[in-house]
Amino acid sequence: MIRARDIVKQYRDVDGTEVRVLDGLSLDVADGEFVAVVGPSGSGKSTLLHLLGGLDVHYQGDVEVAGVKLAGLKDKELARFRNQHVGFVFQSFHLIPNLSAVENVLMPSHFGSASPEARGRAEALLDRVGLLAKKDRAPVRLSGGERQRVAIARALFTGPRLLLCDEPTGNLDATTGAGVISLFQELHREGITLLAVTHEERMSSAAKRVLRLKEGRLVEEPRPALVGGVS
Amino acid sequence: MRLAALSQLVRLSLARERKGAFFSAFGVAMGVGALVFFLGLGLGVGRVIRERIFPTDARLVDVVPPAVSLGSFLGGGKLDAAMVERLQALPGVEKTWRKMNVRAPAASLYNGDFFGRKLRMGMDVLAVGVDPGLVEGDVQMGKFVDPGPGQPLPGLISTRLLEIYNNTFAPARNLPRLAPGMLVGFTFPVDFNRSYVSAPLPNVAVISSQVQVVGASDRALLAGITVPLDTAIRLNREMGQDTETYSGVTLVATSPGAVPGLVAAVKEMGLEIDDQERRLAENVGAAVALTTSALALLSILICVLAAVNIAHALSASVRARAKEIGVMQAVGASRADVRNIVLAEAGVVGLAGGFLGTVAALLLALLIDRLAGSYLPQFPFKPESFFSFPWPVVVGGVVLGLLAAVAGAWFPSHRAAATDPARTLAG
Repeated sequence: MIRARDIVKQYRDVDGTEVRVLDGLSLDVADGEFVAVVGPSGSGKSTLLHLLGGLDVHYQGDVEVAGVKLAGLKDKELARFRNQHVGFVFQSFHLIPNLSAVENVLMPSHFGSASPEARGRAEALLDRVGLLAKKDRAPVRLSGGERQRVAIARALFTGPRLLLCDEPTGNLDATTGAGVISLFQELHREGITLLAVTHEERMSSAAKRVLRLKEGRLVEEPRPALVGGVS
Repeated sequence: MRLAALSQLVRLSLARERKGAFFSAFGVAMGVGALVFFLGLGLGVGRVIRERIFPTDARLVDVVPPAVSLGSFLGGGKLDAAMVERLQALPGVEKTWRKMNVRAPAASLYNGDFFGRKLRMGMDVLAVGVDPGLVEGDVQMGKFVDPGPGQPLPGLISTRLLEIYNNTFAPARNLPRLAPGMLVGFTFPVDFNRSYVSAPLPNVAVISSQVQVVGASDRALLAGITVPLDTAIRLNREMGQDTETYSGVTLVATSPGAVPGLVAAVKEMGLEIDDQERRLAENVGAAVALTTSALALLSILICVLAAVNIAHALSASVRARAKEIGVMQAVGASRADVRNIVLAEAGVVGLAGGFLGTVAALLLALLIDRLAGSYLPQFPFKPESFFSFPWPVVVGGVVLGLLAAVAGAWFPSHRAAATDPARTLAG
């Protein structure tokens, strides 16, 4: 599903120092894998996720996701790639505040091909994450866990085979976070590939493989023991 | 990106930015409304000048003999039949219409019923004879030909004279206002070679006639009566005056574009052009056009300010919505999609502003016309409407609103499209 080779990402810091946040990183993720990438804040986890998801194109190296080589893609092709092959889940949910839950889930439909069943699919996804009854609520009237589930439903809308999750439980309490992790595990069982960057042990313990981002490269890490409630 | 999706996103965005969108549209409406209003006013006043005060036909050239003629020495300047033939032969001339003044003073003394009022009035009149073809469209009774001695002379009066009578003379003298049709058939006496103010021709008898009004014409003499050319020739002959030369010839050019060439050719023939009225019309028209242009410029300035306001409002909006734009990009929006969303938002605001401004201008014009009709006193050439709104002005107003808004949104839309999703969605 993911094949990245010799990725180098550098930027200039505010004081002018050149920072090489990814330094020759390589990564392989098979179809249907659930991989957690851990590492301290500022180690480049989110940057890696953005590169793999086609949100950031300023890097060196080769990235191939879902059979699509990202290097050299034009903006429209990258946009289509993001719409059809990848679903993003963010720590801060990033729901659009003036849209209802179902309208947020429908957001990818505006940039893909037209489908008369779009609304039905959005409602089915909300039903799946247990929020059909609250489909018309604005994000501000949903709890943190509910918002993240809406965000997951949005990420799943176009039926991508890969979910890229950036600290998906970072803003949730333990109980709510456990519910979200359960949902990820369910998706994993259905064959969806998950790559989650996290610094939370409960999330990494749910993954089947854990990689640590250290000095710009990934190293395999032993999988931590399961934390209560998550299997 | 599909149009339906674009319109839905724009609707959602405008619903959230309702207040800003309202003020942006209001600014556009002000500029467009002012522009449409002033253009409509300028065009309306210009139309009154062109069509009613100085009704000129762009294809007509009035040729007159020179005031001081060396024609007899140089072979030009005399407006006789031969010269008319030469004029007719000029390239670009479609027709020639001859005119001949009745070369004696004339006076009218009316004493009788005048549309239900007793009227006793005497005044000097001028009389000119014209080729019937020049006024054939305006004759409403009988044929415009010389009826012969002893018969009432068919006469045309000036529509402008009638306008002045109706709005100044009639109210001042408590006389009825007259429509052109009412005058058709009206007969009044005219004595040729009689005058209240100037000396009559010596040793020439007075010819007493009746003139029967057969219509009103823009091409009729303003301060006098217009009779058939043959009548003028006959009267001049009876009074022993020149019947060989004409007072003027009206040339009908094949097209307005041929007029300058004709004017030059006519002047080369030692003749002059009577363009006093045309020049006056052009000068007044130019003054109106200049005033309209100044006001239109001011209105366009308001539109520019509205565009700047839209640019400012959208820039702030784009900054505030950076995360939202990042999310759109994450779920599949391209840079072009983002740019189009912002431009479409502005386009809707501009169209709404342009439409409302245009409608407001039309309504204001209607209101002013109603008020002017009710409260302004009658005056000559007072129009039913001071405004003219041809469709390009109306459509142009709406389009200008759209263009101003899109121009204002240009840089914000590009800034929005340049949003770096990786940066805005981090954390």
